[in-house]
Amino acid sequence: MITIISKIELEGTDSLKYTDIGHTENDAIVNQINENYDSTLGKFLGENRTKLEIGEVSISAFFNGVDSVNEARTQVEIVEDSSLTKITDISQL
Amino acid sequence: MAVPTKGNTTSANPTPGASSKTQAHTHNTGDDGLIIAQFTMSNSRTYSGCTYGGQAMTQLYQINRSGLGQRMAFFYLENPPTGSNNLVVSFSGSQWNPISLHIRSFTNSGGVGTSARTGGQSTPNTQSLTVEDDSLIMITSCSVNAITSQQIPQGTNRTYTQHNTNRQVATGAISADTGHSAGSVALRSTSTFGSITLDRTEIKGLASSVDTSGGDFFSVF
Repeated sequence: MITIISKIELEGTDSLKYTDIGHTENDAIVNQINENYDSTLGKFLGENRTKLEIGEVSISAFFNGVDSVNEARTQVEIVEDSSLTKITDISQL
Repeated sequence: MAVPTKGNTTSANPTPGASSKTQAHTHNTGDDGLIIAQFTMSNSRTYSGCTYGGQAMTQLYQINRSGLGQRMAFFYLENPPTGSNNLVVSFSGSQWNPISLHIRSFTNSGGVGTSARTGGQSTPNTQSLTVEDDSLIMITSCSVNAITSQQIPQGTNRTYTQHNTNRQVATGAISADTGHSAGSVALRSTSTFGSITLDRTEIKGLASSVDTSGGDFFSVF
């Protein structure tokens, strides 16, 4: 299986925007990306889901000083988009 | 009949953080194409539609699993555009909980057949589905606890993807390539303990074309 790496940014003031930026078959890279996501954006979402739903908290609060966060939780069998780089080292991101 | 040909799959477990989620998927080239999408997410929102390559997909079911706080859905599209296209699933509002999504392509398929759904029952949850000759079966389950098997038929473990939507979700389990004989097929889902759901859907094969190469014919004047 191939894992797609997505960049997550703020879109407007209240939404997330996902952009696929690369792909990898290296589990260590996948784990490193997802551990970082879980400890940053994932943690914020987990603590604020209900408040985000009712508009009491804005996702823009997380992105104050943060440009983007990566996540690697999409699995595919084929990558047809030639613009996606194969990531073999985390420093490529 | 002929068994459907399995194509590409895409599985993902993102938090949409918007009122829709776009997911790229590559549909295989071939006749009699079919694409299906299985979703599970918090029931705080409903699914308001799904498109692939800009074409509206048909909703087979959308079910609220209130005991689990989840909403599960199945959409499909016959003869979708081939190649890489975007699947876009829309919600009744911004979804801030993770969604489980599984997309699978087929060629040489006769479309979606019978489907049945069973809510949470104590593990193991054993059900059946009556299918036509040479059909495949896809199943999906949700539980509070870790899911330990998806069996098609009962007794035969099939591979699946486990997602976390604040509940545990098994998605993507499908019959072996040889398909099933016509009739009732027993199916089973299991979790470590507690209750687990079991939703199942038939993916039909193609009816054989009529053989006109032999036999007796009468001339009619």
